Amino acid sequence: MEVFFKLNGQPVKVDVKPNEVLLDVLRLKLGIKSVKRGCERAECGTCTVLLDGKPTYSCMILAPYVNGREVATIEYLKENGELKPLVEAFADVGAVQCGFCTPGFLLTVYAFLKKNPSPTREEIKKAIEGNLCRCTGYKKIIEAIELASKKMKSG
Amino acid sequence: MSAAEDPYTLMEKWLKAKEFLVVGKGVRRADAIEKALGMARYVEDFYMPGHMLFVKQVLSTEPHARILGVDASKALEIPGVEGVFTAKDIPGENQVGYALPDQPLLADGKVRFVGDLVALVAARDFDTAIRAAEEVRIKYEPLPYVLDPLEAMKRTDVLVHEEVGSNIAFRTKVRKGNVEEGFAKSDVIVENEYRTHHQDHLYLETEGALALPELGDRLTVISAGQYPHLVRAIVSRVVGLPESHVKVIIPYMGGGFGGKDDEGPLVAAKAALVARLTGKPSFLLYTREESLIMHPKREATVIKYKSGASKDGKLQAIDVQIIHDTGAFTNRGPFILWRATVHASGPYKVPHAKVDGYCIYTNKVYQGSYRGFGNPSVQFAAEAQMDRLAEKLGMDPVDFRLKNLLRPGDTTITNQLLDHSVGVADAVAKLAETAGWREKRERYSKENGGRYRKGIGIGVAWHGISTSRGVPDWSNALVKIEKDGSVSVHTGIVEMGQGSPVSSHRQIAAEILGAPIDLVTVDFGTTDAPDTGATHASRGTSIGAIGVYVASAKLRERLNRLAAELLETSPDDIVIKDGKAYARSNPSKSISWKDLIKEAYARGVEMSATGYFFLPKGKFDDQKGQGYAYPAFSYVAMIAEVEVDTYTGKVRVLRIWPGLAAGKIINPTQVEGQVEGAAVQGMGYALMEQFVFDDKGRILNADMTDYVIPTALDAPEIMKPVYVEDIFKYGPFGAKGVGEMALIPAPAAIANAVSNALGIKVTKLPLTSENVYFLIKGKR
Amino acid sequence: MFYRIPEINYIYVSKLDEALEVLHTLDNARVLAGGTDLVMDLKIGRIRPETIVDISRVDELKYIKDEGDYLRIGALTTLQDIVESSLVRAKAPVLVKAVNEMASWQVRNVATIGGNLCNASPAADSAPPLMVLEARLILASREGEREVPITQFFKGPRKTELRKDELLKEIIIPYERGSGQHYIKLGRRDAFTLSIVSVAALVKVSNGKFSDVRIALNSVAPTPVRAYDAENALKGREVNLENIENVSKLVLNSISPQ
Repeated sequence: MEVFFKLNGQPVKVDVKPNEVLLDVLRLKLGIKSVKRGCERAECGTCTVLLDGKPTYSCMILAPYVNGREVATIEYLKENGELKPLVEAFADVGAVQCGFCTPGFLLTVYAFLKKNPSPTREEIKKAIEGNLCRCTGYKKIIEAIELASKKMKSG
Repeated sequence: MSAAEDPYTLMEKWLKAKEFLVVGKGVRRADAIEKALGMARYVEDFYMPGHMLFVKQVLSTEPHARILGVDASKALEIPGVEGVFTAKDIPGENQVGYALPDQPLLADGKVRFVGDLVALVAARDFDTAIRAAEEVRIKYEPLPYVLDPLEAMKRTDVLVHEEVGSNIAFRTKVRKGNVEEGFAKSDVIVENEYRTHHQDHLYLETEGALALPELGDRLTVISAGQYPHLVRAIVSRVVGLPESHVKVIIPYMGGGFGGKDDEGPLVAAKAALVARLTGKPSFLLYTREESLIMHPKREATVIKYKSGASKDGKLQAIDVQIIHDTGAFTNRGPFILWRATVHASGPYKVPHAKVDGYCIYTNKVYQGSYRGFGNPSVQFAAEAQMDRLAEKLGMDPVDFRLKNLLRPGDTTITNQLLDHSVGVADAVAKLAETAGWREKRERYSKENGGRYRKGIGIGVAWHGISTSRGVPDWSNALVKIEKDGSVSVHTGIVEMGQGSPVSSHRQIAAEILGAPIDLVTVDFGTTDAPDTGATHASRGTSIGAIGVYVASAKLRERLNRLAAELLETSPDDIVIKDGKAYARSNPSKSISWKDLIKEAYARGVEMSATGYFFLPKGKFDDQKGQGYAYPAFSYVAMIAEVEVDTYTGKVRVLRIWPGLAAGKIINPTQVEGQVEGAAVQGMGYALMEQFVFDDKGRILNADMTDYVIPTALDAPEIMKPVYVEDIFKYGPFGAKGVGEMALIPAPAAIANAVSNALGIKVTKLPLTSENVYFLIKGKR
Repeated sequence: MFYRIPEINYIYVSKLDEALEVLHTLDNARVLAGGTDLVMDLKIGRIRPETIVDISRVDELKYIKDEGDYLRIGALTTLQDIVESSLVRAKAPVLVKAVNEMASWQVRNVATIGGNLCNASPAADSAPPLMVLEARLILASREGEREVPITQFFKGPRKTELRKDELLKEIIIPYERGSGQHYIKLGRRDAFTLSIVSVAALVKVSNGKFSDVRIALNSVAPTPVRAYDAENALKGREVNLENIENVSKLVLNSISPQ
């Protein structure tokens, strides 16, 4: 079946089978490699995308579900520049190690800071509960989010 | 080699450096932005559906059985299936054991655990491959099996490997002094049995490899792995091609932690085998379930530990038996056991020691490399013993440790003299001060009523750098200064998150060359670089970067001589920094970095160098259990503060204070990242991570729903590390290893803190709510 | 890629009537509200429907309405919308507390309250708070509507009162004025995990004594359960820790296997 949706601001039409998940459509059919395959069980966060602006896992979304909706990946945020302070904060603080979880984190955090530009540390931890990281122990990720929120407010 | 380029001379010279341009600073790692923006390429990102074969594994469903036949006829009838391959199709050798030749790549004649690989199915697309794999019929004759290592040790009627004649796969020993004498001198003796469990690496990226046949009987393999040259050696052995015909590239990896050092070469060999047999590009990626059930784990252990001390607070003797549940194959088990055995005392002076280690085969998933490599379990036991001894002596646990910690000039339990780089006692003293140990320990020991109880505990550990005993170890790298002044570093060290090639290697090259760091690029994880050794054993910087250090130093000598000639001064007078070379005696005499390099090319000065360094080592006598163990040890201490809910048994780690004596800290930001990540991984192991096996030894929780790792809400507050920079003479600028360190004492520190909170000794991990609840109930 | 979901038909509906009509005619169909549980069940082969009926666009079932003495929540309201609703926070705080600890933000953004209830996992975390609130469920079919107390909705693991032609339309939550409400979840870790057990409690106190007590738990029986013996034993007793501790043992009467 054909589904139409907006991917990173552009309308796309793609032929899918109803039993395909969005993760595979993005990675294998549309060449979006920033969305990572981690667990395929909605348990790790590496395949996070923004669906109508809200972070969700692309491994638990059947392809037809996105018909008429908007999907954004890190590529979109990269293009429109909104992500810069966040990426810079992650790089400066040392919040990136293996990097496999990072695009997923950034999408979650981007959506979070839009809702809550001045979060407390506890609110930050709660927001990223669904993005697992096996390398950093989360400390520097949390610090990077705090730094980014300060930078975004002042800048 | 000219005398001016002798590595020892160069290393000695740079070890004296006092002021630094970029070393010791939190320089941003080179890959951060491309990873954050999703541009970094991992193995699966190279897969092009429709243009490559997809390989699917057929795994054993039996714990122990003879293979009577593999019927692939139904699978082969499915359109799009290119082949089903078993042991008999292997053109080279079907042998991939790293320590002992006991492991076929594809099961040959029998299977030894649920998850053992029987066949590989190759098809045009993944759907077809998965469907075909389900149609491969394997006929088994089930054999009796054994799952418990203590039982397996005694039995000879059920043998995991008949040819060995026993389930004892390997033994190790250390002997020092006379333990009977030591215990006779002891005023207090404690004896306990400790148990630790399996742990999975749970890297977020599973194992994968893509093999591409090339012209002229060559093969390029893009694969997971922690040592490209080892990946190549295994691929070459299995497919029967010379190593020179195989090129291995290890791209960015979504975590390794030791697991991909074991499994990387195997996944590469599987993809390469299919590519070789079909002549087509072949891609294999483990599902999360496959990864969880088949790749090697941190071993489960049973450790019997007896130790004694005299009333002046001095350790007198230890008698330790270490049993590793090695599983179906030894893999790196013997090396892991060696490390556990040699480190069994903890970083303490012990005059009398007897340690015996056993690797025991069982019909379960096998033992493998995992951050800490046999050491977290034995340090957990050793450090619990230290607390029990202190308790019996009526001493504070930190004071008792300080009385016994190794210092320069002391000998280890293998009688190795530690002549330098032993900063552990300073680190422990500073750490206790920083954490407010005395005040908290006293307070929590008194407050033991109420539902929530707090406790504080310490774990101290040591970890030998490089390979154990006299096993050869070396470093190398190729450093080239290109005509435009940019610098390319080629190394076999991989990038799996730890960051050494994209941070410390660049810093070291830039520091020594005086080149602007933005001009330095590191090409990592490739067999195109000289053999650098593995990215394991915390050696990525400490040993791995020696090659970069030495090669850069050679080039710097050449640049100094050239600049001296151009600026009419002596080579010793040359300073290179901020994009230019100038005379220290007259800074107005200068030449830009780029012009200096142009001159080098114009005047016939070679601008490429390798940095081979072979680590000098002593000998270890396996029969006597005595001798040289490691060129140096990194030391680590950790204080943990916990709160236990006595109603539910739930343990929360509130705060962690880490301390390191790991030589020169090249990049404090990256070191903190390693410490914080390792601490939380260690906490996960201590509190929540565990496998559930059924009565066939099958892992029941092979997914991330039921094998849980810490989230951001589980992670404790981690304080800034306390550093003691106890310079190691062969490390780059004196650096020792860091990557594994903070994991090693984490279970010990947390378990000791729980003991302190509850007033109950902890001898078994993990400290799940359930286990702690029953621990408390047992006492009541 | 690795989990092969069997071939399925996929139908979109955008109106409740349309959905009920489709459910009436189809035999082996499953409703996709948010799909977070459904897709995992498809992946692991727990269910094998012929058709998926995607009701996620039935906007008339997405609401939280204040009716004074009770709240009405449309079955397609996402878990995150409940967490962020000041209305629910004010009138049914125990539900917010429980839902906030369900799965993760990424899941709560898509998963719906109706989906969580109809999936009827013994570990459903929205059930204990709704059971102590004595919520009522409106089930709709082509034939009409019926109201079922939530305490009678769960029939076993993944079994409910719902007929196959019925859809959960709405959850009615009485406003329990003057009550104290709390929820505690114990999992293998502190977030994003299944309950080992979770417990919701609602009490009312007058003159220092418990006048009403409601306790519900999940993951301790084939369905979420109320602990009636413990509730009854505590009613009329003085409010103190000793009484609570003594009575808490009676919770065992309500769980199985014990």
